[in-house]
Amino acid sequence: MKIKGVIITHGELGKAIIDVADSILERKSDIECFRFEWDEDGTIIEKKIRAFLNKNKDSGIIIFTDMFGGSPANLSLRFNRPNLEIITGINLPGILKFLTYKEKKISFKELLKIVRDGARDGISIISEYLGDRKNGKRKDQNNK
Amino acid sequence: MEKEKIKITNKLGLHARAAAKLSHLANNFNSNIFLIFNGDKVNAKSLLGILTLAASVGNDITIEAEGDDESKAVSEIKGLFERKFDEES
Repeated sequence: MKIKGVIITHGELGKAIIDVADSILERKSDIECFRFEWDEDGTIIEKKIRAFLNKNKDSGIIIFTDMFGGSPANLSLRFNRPNLEIITGINLPGILKFLTYKEKKISFKELLKIVRDGARDGISIISEYLGDRKNGKRKDQNNK
Repeated sequence: MEKEKIKITNKLGLHARAAAKLSHLANNFNSNIFLIFNGDKVNAKSLLGILTLAASVGNDITIEAEGDDESKAVSEIKGLFERKFDEES
């Protein structure tokens, strides 16, 4: 099953994450990006997302949003179909995981976990991290 | 198993784009490939794994590969380090 990504965020955040990820990987990713305007009620963007979902009926879809409970995430809850999942609180490490693992021979469920864990493990308090490293207690993160 | 130590010579060290190039190259091989630095061992096929090494210019890093194409893997990865990840002319 082909897997498609969609990122829905407030303002330019989603586009910025994709632009940076593309610069790092030196390629143009095919993640669809929707910007949630502050003054809109979601009607326009909902139509755009429905059109996108109709166009990609046979694909697995991951919707990435910026924050659990935010409008982009709440709006995403309106869509319900098999093989559609929402990941909230996306960041650059998470998107990099998605882009580098989506073509691999892994299941949709496995991909979801890898992306979620990559995004989570990408957040560190550096002093703790370096302390663990010194004491040989470093967690084997991002090492799949 | 094939192992080789190499010095990082590109100015920015193992930064994001260099790590992306390295993991991309490593993914072309069947062998299990690791980078060892400062007591840490990470999967060379994982971009974010490589970044956690925080290895800079001047650091010595060990490339380790095990599998049917281990020699080719180590030699091509070594080449990428020696070419400074094609980011400096």
